[in-house]
Amino acid sequence: MMDQHEDPKFEKWLRDEARSYHSPLPTPRDEIWKRIEDARRHKHVIELRPWMRWVVAAAAVLAVGIGIGRWSANQASAPPASTATAGAGTRVANEIDSLASVAYQVAATQYLSRTEAFLTSFRADANRSANTARLARQARDLLMTTQLMLDSPAADDPRLRSLLGDLELVLMQISLLNPVQDGRDRDLITQGMNQTNVLPKLRSAIPAGPVPVRTEGAL
Amino acid sequence: MDESQLLARVRAGDSAAERTLYDAHVDRVYRLAFRLAGDDALAQDFTQETFIRAFDRLGSFRGDAAFSTWLHTITTTVVLNGLRKVKRLRQRETDIDDAHEIGTTQRHAEPDLKVRLRQAIDALPEGYRTVFVMHDVEGYTHEEIGAALGVETGTSKAQLSRARAKLRVALSDFAGEWVR
Repeated sequence: MMDQHEDPKFEKWLRDEARSYHSPLPTPRDEIWKRIEDARRHKHVIELRPWMRWVVAAAAVLAVGIGIGRWSANQASAPPASTATAGAGTRVANEIDSLASVAYQVAATQYLSRTEAFLTSFRADANRSANTARLARQARDLLMTTQLMLDSPAADDPRLRSLLGDLELVLMQISLLNPVQDGRDRDLITQGMNQTNVLPKLRSAIPAGPVPVRTEGAL
Repeated sequence: MDESQLLARVRAGDSAAERTLYDAHVDRVYRLAFRLAGDDALAQDFTQETFIRAFDRLGSFRGDAAFSTWLHTITTTVVLNGLRKVKRLRQRETDIDDAHEIGTTQRHAEPDLKVRLRQAIDALPEGYRTVFVMHDVEGYTHEEIGAALGVETGTSKAQLSRARAKLRVALSDFAGEWVR
């Protein structure tokens, strides 16, 4: 029995007409393959599985707690009296450094995800009339975080440092977008992004899946 | 060489086999990404990400289903997650722009059929649009769609039916086109 909503004439017409919907271009096979190879060569990274992210979050909280405790103890007590105490202090300091480093990595992941979304949208909107002032403002915000990241322990990783350098350049160009020559400037920025493969590198640096730990403002 | 042999070579790290596997499937992946994204740069990004994930995770592909089915599951996940990110960002931008443009909006001229159809499909809820594009535009079966989206075949059919019903209402001005 025919459903009350079914209308074979409409459905046939719709299928025929809908073929023009977002009609694809010929597949740029070689171009995409080159990008895949490049991204896999630069594959890096902070591989955090979902359960690990919670561990990392707990570790970050613990690191802050230990840090506060250690600072309070130093404030209240005299210098350590024994070698054993000094050894324990060194171990705790090392653990704090290690946990802080992981916390920085989580913050880096959060920042990289935001930057990826922004640059993906910027490139997709390159030929549209998105608000230049707003784009520049968003780029400035991300640029500030990029520069803080470059000065943080997260940038001890040479690959991440190189990526941050590329991102700093792109974000600086967007933050200086000139509304008068907007279209030409955007084309140049997009070309530069394509040539340096900054988006594939950025995506390779971001672990798969959502990043549940909110660390905005941590850096 | 059949596909299981090809996959075994890819697992063994044969880069020529990777390229062969890529060539065999890239058109369908890119077409679906383009149809859903409506943008070449995004479609390329999503295609790239799909294959990177597929190669990385090939070890977890047990061969219970066809490789193409598994690959399209990754494709739809990558595309839909990517589009959600872009949409969230654009929504924030639109909200800000709208706040500056209150009272300055103008009524646009009535668009033609193709534009109206595109707008109507774009306006479908994500699930309906995905099923509609995969089935009516790209020719996937309900079984393939169900497997790719992780839903029952009946759910896919129901979403397609609702998508068509919504489109019929949205395009009612053009009813003369299909009753001829």
